[in-house]
Amino acid sequence: MMARLSLLLGVLLLSSGSVQAFNLDLNKLLEVGKKTTDLKEVDEKGEAEIGSASAAQLLGAAPLVQNEKLQGYVNQVGLWLAMQTERPDLPWRFGVMDSDSVNAFATPGGYVFITRGLLLRMRNEAELAGVLAHEIAHVLKRHHLVAIQKNAKTGLATDLMSMAVDNSSSQYGEWKKKALSASTELYARGLDKGDEFEADRLGVVIAARAGYDPYGLPSVLQALDSINPQDSNLALMFKTHPSSRQRLDLLDAAMTGNLERYASQPMVADRFEKVVGDYARRGK
Amino acid sequence: MKNLSLLLTIFLSSMSIASIAAETGQILVNTDLKSEPFADAKTLASLPGNSAVDVLKRQGGWMQVKPAGNGQGWVKMTAIKLGGAAAGTKGDSGMTSLWNTAMQGRSGNTGVTVATGVRGLSPEDMKNATPSPDAVKKLDNYAATKSQAESAAKSAKLSKQNIDYLADAGGKK
Repeated sequence: MMARLSLLLGVLLLSSGSVQAFNLDLNKLLEVGKKTTDLKEVDEKGEAEIGSASAAQLLGAAPLVQNEKLQGYVNQVGLWLAMQTERPDLPWRFGVMDSDSVNAFATPGGYVFITRGLLLRMRNEAELAGVLAHEIAHVLKRHHLVAIQKNAKTGLATDLMSMAVDNSSSQYGEWKKKALSASTELYARGLDKGDEFEADRLGVVIAARAGYDPYGLPSVLQALDSINPQDSNLALMFKTHPSSRQRLDLLDAAMTGNLERYASQPMVADRFEKVVGDYARRGK
Repeated sequence: MKNLSLLLTIFLSSMSIASIAAETGQILVNTDLKSEPFADAKTLASLPGNSAVDVLKRQGGWMQVKPAGNGQGWVKMTAIKLGGAAAGTKGDSGMTSLWNTAMQGRSGNTGVTVATGVRGLSPEDMKNATPSPDAVKKLDNYAATKSQAESAAKSAKLSKQNIDYLADAGGKK
């Protein structure tokens, strides 16, 4: 990690053309960072670290459901989806969180979570696939990672710079702490709307590639749109996402003429009802 | 008083179980009722905005509905708000009612565990959480292998397709 990080910084500094870069305008630095194609490559291990730390934070807020069969099922569906993407070999991990809240999360490096509250509102596997594929798309596009890097307010970029001066382990620990706090803040605040719409558009294609009826995600959005917006279980999702109605309308417009021909692909209701229904009936 | 409202909650949520079988919806704006789930299918009637329909099923981006009068047909799913005009719908679709029943069974007469089932995820919850790296490690136990994922897909008759990502309105992919 350490070596990779210094490499990343080296790349940044070299591209800026200045070794005395410490007073560099932040925006300029971020611009350089964006243009540096090596950045993504170099960053993969750092992505995994920020991802697992963010996942630990999320699971600290709501634990995993203790049901091996359910968790295994969601992992099989999720991995099958991820295998249809450009990053099939990430160590993908999927989990159902034990929370009434209606939400789903992705953290960098391939962690994807869905809450019990959202899972139980679904009617078939195509709906589950649609939501997991939306989250997978966030990981593919490194939306959270880029947002953390972009967020100059966190001072993260400054810290990255200072790492170049002294990359002792205490500094690194400090950097990681800041990255984690920036990431936690991001989960509370949400990504740009554009990132959410993009993840919707990618998600329905990933679901269709995996052989599902691609209208699973629109179907979930329609169900969410019917929930009373005052319902506290939706507070965070509504705060961090564009309205379900707007997402549904934009998705439908993008899908029309392109994905309708896949609409007769399976929804896989039987297996979903068996596994998720069994969990719901037992209440654990 | 508190017990009374708990009872009332339980009573109301058992009622929603019955209503799931026949889902209702509300037409958002004037919409053509089509004979089939296609844009160029024959138009059967025009459904006025705010009118109520029974929703029978979904097929792709279309829903089969039964308007208040007679007959049935198809409208785009974007033209419908599920739950209908009834305010305060809880959106208890899917398996929610099964779960609620299980919780009621557990709670017996007291209804105590109805409240303990509530675990929120507010921004504060997330910021104040104590990280749980052990839970992250535990995910490894649940992870699927590619061959497991493949055979699960096969048994559900899911076949892979080659499809390009969709462009947004501005043509950006």
